[in-house]
Amino acid sequence: MTEREDRERSDRLLQEAMRARLSRRSVLRGAGVGVAGISLASLLAACGEGDGGTGGNGDAQTGGAPADVFSGEPGDEVNFANWPLYLDQAKDKDGNVYHPTLKLFEEATGIHVNYEDVIQSNEEFFGKIQPQLAGGDSTGWDIIVITNGRQFNVLTTNEWVYRLDPAMRPNFDANATPFAKDPTYDPGNTFSMPWQGGFTGIGYDKTKVNGAITKLDDLANPAIVGTDSVGMLSSDMPDFVMINLGIDPATSGPAEWQEAADWLQMQRESGTVRQYYDQGYIDDFVAGNTPVSMAWSGDVIYYALWAGYTDFEFMFPEGGALLWQDNMMVPVGAGNAPGAAQVMDWYYDPKIATMVTEWVIYLSPVAGVQDRILEDADAALDDGYKGYSNKLRATAESPYSFPDDALLAQTKFGTNITNDEQAEEWDNIFLPITQQ
Amino acid sequence: MATEALTGQEPATEPPSRGRSYAARRRLAPLWLMTPGGVYLLVFLIIPMGILVYTSLQSGGAFSGRFYFDWDFANYTDQIVQYESQLIRSVTYSVIVTIACLLLAYPMTYWIAFYAGRWKSSILLLILLPFFVSFVIRTVQWRFLLADDGILFGPLKDLGLMSDSFHVLSTPYAVVAGITYNFLPFTALPLYVALDRIDRSLVEAAKDLYSSRWEAFRHVVWPLSLPGVFAAFLLTFVPATGDYVNAAILGGPGTTMIGNIIQAKFLSELNYPEAAALSVILMVAMLILATAYARVLGTEDDTLTATI
Repeated sequence: MTEREDRERSDRLLQEAMRARLSRRSVLRGAGVGVAGISLASLLAACGEGDGGTGGNGDAQTGGAPADVFSGEPGDEVNFANWPLYLDQAKDKDGNVYHPTLKLFEEATGIHVNYEDVIQSNEEFFGKIQPQLAGGDSTGWDIIVITNGRQFNVLTTNEWVYRLDPAMRPNFDANATPFAKDPTYDPGNTFSMPWQGGFTGIGYDKTKVNGAITKLDDLANPAIVGTDSVGMLSSDMPDFVMINLGIDPATSGPAEWQEAADWLQMQRESGTVRQYYDQGYIDDFVAGNTPVSMAWSGDVIYYALWAGYTDFEFMFPEGGALLWQDNMMVPVGAGNAPGAAQVMDWYYDPKIATMVTEWVIYLSPVAGVQDRILEDADAALDDGYKGYSNKLRATAESPYSFPDDALLAQTKFGTNITNDEQAEEWDNIFLPITQQ
Repeated sequence: MATEALTGQEPATEPPSRGRSYAARRRLAPLWLMTPGGVYLLVFLIIPMGILVYTSLQSGGAFSGRFYFDWDFANYTDQIVQYESQLIRSVTYSVIVTIACLLLAYPMTYWIAFYAGRWKSSILLLILLPFFVSFVIRTVQWRFLLADDGILFGPLKDLGLMSDSFHVLSTPYAVVAGITYNFLPFTALPLYVALDRIDRSLVEAAKDLYSSRWEAFRHVVWPLSLPGVFAAFLLTFVPATGDYVNAAILGGPGTTMIGNIIQAKFLSELNYPEAAALSVILMVAMLILATAYARVLGTEDDTLTATI
């Protein structure tokens, strides 16, 4: 407990300063550098695969039983790759930044976690580890965090990640929220446990639109949103549109995809779209270039509640919104799978999860976090930190951070593409819209 | 061995074969000299290029876990048909960029070469100075400069000089301007080299023969600077066509260049064969255009080599 109190009292300013104007998904990845580095690796990978036969399809994995790598003694180090600004941080007396929840873990277990925020996009990170996985080599990581979607499915389909041992996650069994347990993209949490999640909805600046935005079609109506003013998220928009057209992505096929593509083409021709984003959408939104934008819940909520942008609003259109989760997985070849399993379950302790959520403000996969944040808000108020207390309270009361069943019922996971034919069909339908 | 070959010195223990061996080694000397560069090119250019072509003829996908080689030429034909408009757009942007760069850089380098005197090096350094900062970061800065309500347009809009909806970001203008800015040194340096090498006495001679300043430029300076223009065009046009950073950072819905497509294929679609095929197509197209250009307008001059 002293750790938490310590953090609340002395590190609020640091917290806010470090997060200022950044969000974990909007850190610009320096497009040039990233890709230049990757393409050669990918090429070599592709080449190696051509010659290399079965690559990483480990023989031990075929039966469906948990990988036996989890049964040994944990090593004393775990290498954890995650996204930027996705774990609580604090500063010790000497000014060194550390992660309180990991420090507590090390004190409890003696296992040291090398935590690095090296994942800035699923595509880029996958591109980096794919050659090793395909070649049957270790990636060097014990835990990686990948969003449900195509890269996730490629990892599971090829069994490039270990099947987890259900016996090693008592906290998960006790505390995981319903949407974190047994998700459609990973039945039975065979391969993954969610780290954090979020919604893709609409963010807008109340002062810059004509009237309230209520439905998807408003994003294609220049009379409401203006021209060249809407930001669209390329990777999320097909599912987002389908959900709003009343289609469940889980049961969708090419005909439904085409329906969504037709809507997107109509929107494009309406002249409202300013840009299709892979990265950096939030910068344009905050700068006012795209007063209306598809947006990730945590980003907009952070600006609205924590950074003083009171005109910002995050909402679901009438038809609903997209739910996604970033998931912890153990890549094949991991040197310390038992240690990784302990770390993963550690974050399903509500006390620990609360410390994370108070810092990252996304959708926690752990039940009981909301009440604990409210308790912390009261404690902060008693200690005389009124502003901090109010922000904690607003976070805890935000329906998009702690959705009720009615709100969750409006959301769905995205289409689950599981083979190359589907992937090609999907790309042929949707890529022409953004790449004209 | 290498040192011996270079210096022509022989160990004294082999006198009988000295004559022949000496000649043979002399002939081999250039080969030895080429070795480091040759190995470098082999490892970092030829082999990757081979892998690129090999990959471009593969089939399969990410979900299958592997790609296999099967002479899949459809990768090529499909891509050309599907992305014709982006290829044309890339070349069009690049031509505009190259011409804009030449128009900007020629007067500038002319002035430096002819009138800057002892400040030449300092001013050249000034041209290069921005390029000590990362390419991507400079391009991102343009977003701040050109933001709809940013430091440039914000005040103008407040004064009512522009409509509120006016914007440059997300338009082709921003992309072309961004590439022009980023590739200006590739144009300026070869131009400078060519202009600086022109013998001033030729200009004086022209004036002695009663040419006006314009005529002297038109008939003496311009023709002598053409090798520089030729080199500048190639050094700008070829990389600018493949650029994707500017379109990604400054562009909008209708500015996708071929580089962006290749990036998406590599990273989002994980379709390495198609991405490789498109890369080869772009490379071959550039090679054809550059060769044709060299045949039509090329010179024997070595400005290109001198610059590099």
